[in-house]
Amino acid sequence: MRRGAVWQLLLFTVIAAAIAAVMALYPAWLPPTASEQADRIGDVFWFATIICAGIFSIVAGVLIYSLVKFRAPRDDDFETDGAPIHGHTGLEIVWTAVPFALVTAIAVFSAIVLGKNDKVGDNPLRIDVTSQQFAWSFKYPQQQNLATTVLRLPLGRTVRFRFTALDVLHSFWVPEFSQKQDTVPGIDTFLTVTPNKVGTFPIVCTELCGLGHALMRSTVIVMQPQAWRQWVKSSTQAVSGGGAAAGKAVFTEQGCSACHTFEPARASGTVGPDLDKLPEFAQRAGQPLEEFVRNSIVEPNAYVEKGFPPNVMPKTFASLPEPQLKALVDFLAKGAK
Amino acid sequence: MTHTATGHDAHDAPAAPPPRGFRRLTAAGWIRAAWMAPLFFALIAGLVCLLRWHAGWDPVWDWMPITVTAFLTALPIGFLAGIGTFDYWVYYALGHPTRPEDHSDHGARSWRDYFRVNTDHKVIGVQYLCTTFFFFVIGGLLAMLVRAELAKPGLQVTDAQGYNGFFTVHATLMIFLFVIPAFAGLANYVVPLMLGAPDMAFPRLNALSYWLLPIAGVMFIAAFFVPGGGPNSGWTCYAPLCEHNTFGNIFFNMGVQWAGASSIMTALNFLVTIITMRAPGMTFWRMPLLVWANFTTSLLVVLATPFIAGSQFFVMFDRVMGMNFFDVHDGGYVLGYQHIFWFYSHPAVYIMMLPGFGIISEVIAVMSRKPIFGYRLMALSLLAILVLGFSVWAHHMFVSGMAPYLRVPMMITTLLIAVPTGIKVFSWLATLWEGRIHFTTPMLWALGFVSMFVIGGLSGVYLGAVPIDIHTSDTYFIVAHIHYVLFGGAFFTIMAGVYYWFPKMTGRMYSERLGRLHFWTTFVSFNATFFPMHLIGTQGMPRRVSDYDPKFADWNLFISISSFVLGASILIFFYNMIHSWRYGPPAPGNPWRALTLEWQVTSPPPVFNFDEIPQVVGNPYEYGVPGARHALLDGARKHELEEVER
Repeated sequence: MRRGAVWQLLLFTVIAAAIAAVMALYPAWLPPTASEQADRIGDVFWFATIICAGIFSIVAGVLIYSLVKFRAPRDDDFETDGAPIHGHTGLEIVWTAVPFALVTAIAVFSAIVLGKNDKVGDNPLRIDVTSQQFAWSFKYPQQQNLATTVLRLPLGRTVRFRFTALDVLHSFWVPEFSQKQDTVPGIDTFLTVTPNKVGTFPIVCTELCGLGHALMRSTVIVMQPQAWRQWVKSSTQAVSGGGAAAGKAVFTEQGCSACHTFEPARASGTVGPDLDKLPEFAQRAGQPLEEFVRNSIVEPNAYVEKGFPPNVMPKTFASLPEPQLKALVDFLAKGAK
Repeated sequence: MTHTATGHDAHDAPAAPPPRGFRRLTAAGWIRAAWMAPLFFALIAGLVCLLRWHAGWDPVWDWMPITVTAFLTALPIGFLAGIGTFDYWVYYALGHPTRPEDHSDHGARSWRDYFRVNTDHKVIGVQYLCTTFFFFVIGGLLAMLVRAELAKPGLQVTDAQGYNGFFTVHATLMIFLFVIPAFAGLANYVVPLMLGAPDMAFPRLNALSYWLLPIAGVMFIAAFFVPGGGPNSGWTCYAPLCEHNTFGNIFFNMGVQWAGASSIMTALNFLVTIITMRAPGMTFWRMPLLVWANFTTSLLVVLATPFIAGSQFFVMFDRVMGMNFFDVHDGGYVLGYQHIFWFYSHPAVYIMMLPGFGIISEVIAVMSRKPIFGYRLMALSLLAILVLGFSVWAHHMFVSGMAPYLRVPMMITTLLIAVPTGIKVFSWLATLWEGRIHFTTPMLWALGFVSMFVIGGLSGVYLGAVPIDIHTSDTYFIVAHIHYVLFGGAFFTIMAGVYYWFPKMTGRMYSERLGRLHFWTTFVSFNATFFPMHLIGTQGMPRRVSDYDPKFADWNLFISISSFVLGASILIFFYNMIHSWRYGPPAPGNPWRALTLEWQVTSPPPVFNFDEIPQVVGNPYEYGVPGARHALLDGARKHELEEVER
């Protein structure tokens, strides 16, 4: 090769590398991370990006150089042939060995990160997650089985999730945590997350689970440990304390206000029936108010108010611990009067 | 079309006279199919009812078993029997004198012959291609509906059932009715010619393989019209969801059986043809790389396809017969489905890619007028992909909840596949080096393929690394990756192949100007459609959702608009193909001055391809080597052999 050709080839490669670098650096490829695991996954991502951008630049450089340089003349109607080069053993060894080394490097780095990300530590916060069409529910076995539909986590403490699926496959993903795990009927699956940023993030179901798949969302709130302990205390106390405060706490925790209007809780959702009209509904269903409220929570499809489709309200609330359920029923039945 | 008009390929046998009177009903063809299909349906439906009545089951008429047995099994068999795919075998099996082979069902005399059972590999190749492009259009329209729904957050065009049906049937048609059979169609046409063979090894089996295909396609589409709506569990049809979903899912389960049977039969045919019907002198190391590619693909198909057949039978038996393969409440094992499914469906990725590698090797060598760089390593890397391809299936399951220790070994094999794939890309680049590159339409598609496949391959490296896969699994990153591999990959190679062999198949030249316009509109709109999907995927948009977070609204609108341009670009292709087929300038036998055997005969080739079986004397890509020959044909053969001896 002539000296000039080498420079030209290099120029094309550098231009391609510059374009690749802009593509890699300009858009925000990963969401802002909020867990230790996500930071490490990000490291693998950028390690792979550097290698891939390098390979891309070399391929693009050689390709563009060849297309510019070795173009057949316009009047050449397939009459002349190129140089009869059949191969080059040295080159072939290089482009077998170098990619082999590069992918091995990615594999080793990945395996190390995987090992670190699965480490639970000796004092994890254990959370049992139940998934079903189309809702998530969370239970804190170490916090008197406190149950919620909005996940609250303390900053900096490793969380060990245990997943169960009641009907079909689902998948638990918080993009900011980067960790993802399918939930499988009949098998318990596990996931480790150590949140390292305070904030509110979406929980997304990523495994097609039926017609409501796109709506199977929840929220995770990462709090300062102090605030989190406060929340656990008030939630468990509120429940055990009974009374309207307990019911209201359950109502808010379980996310009822997202779908329902209920004056005593200052809720104004419109997806589901207006709970201020509960006595009216109970009358129509022909049941005593309190029994009706309980039935409607535990078995939402038993009586569905006209104008609202069945199967929208999650059946998860049947698994609420009895004290919480009772507080909620009391709150609803009394508040509606 | 194989016209008789050229004189060169005059048919030995005249067309059989059309049947008259009562014989019209019993002669093989559409009329017989029209009464045999319902007859078979009625017989089996009656048998089911009889058994249910005898056993005292209520109701006697139950749509579930009748759909599976009578509608999705017996009726298609009746259709096949009616159209005439079994005639010869049935005569033989019943001890009737088989009709002497007069080759009257070989070759096409008019367009009508393309709608009959024909045993000519060239006719079958064209039948395959036209059928697959028909289903490609339907699959593409479904993709347009998907993008229309996603143009804005919320539901506008359809509801969740409609949406899930659209993307499920889109993927199903594109995979089982377009990419896999389109490659089978191209190979059907070209492989026997390249080998110097008069036809495939089993022409009647070849005809049967083709006729199974439209049955599968019609089944997938018919599923939209059954009560409850179409299959809505994704093309992966994961258990247990698909067992509880709409009735249409049964149509998916059975459609896959028909398409799979078609694939397996074709693959067996290719294997026997390639092993036993090579022309004298055509050693394995002298075979064109397209033949090598179809050889490895056929091995993959024969070994892997029974697994998807099994997985679909399992989910269907769970539903129809109350079996418990995947029902946890009765001891089923949910992840078992995924293991069996991906044991086929990962090799299927290579089934959808290796024939394309073969096409690209042909096009790049011819259009840059150079021998393929590292021919043997190119062939060996195909075999390496074949072997490694069977050891990577669980990389689809890194977050599935399978045994955690499986992840690292599967990651290593997955990343290692990048090595033989890389060898192929680098060898194509080296083939361009010092060449005389002609930017014809097939070459543009080939170069477009190389560049797009590099992006698809590199995003595959990301996905192979377990930690990155945990983040990106089941997001739009996956959607972007598979479209770079299957659209930028497989589709681009099919386009390269169709344009490259169009003169050979039709005897006409296509319009280069329209071909280039088609390529550039597709290339630009393809990237505009699928590249941003990487980004919204890593940022947090899951796949298979009809509704999404409004923060992705701008990108989705952009993607949808680009996808409509992409959809419109295919119109240029169809106009070019149809117009050129009728009015294009006549093509010479060898417009590209290529060395492989299919170009050494007329365009289109004679009915039995070669007047005399050629003698292969050298490698197929000896461009620029003074005096090199791939094969000696006809009269030249004897003379030149004498020369060589002297």
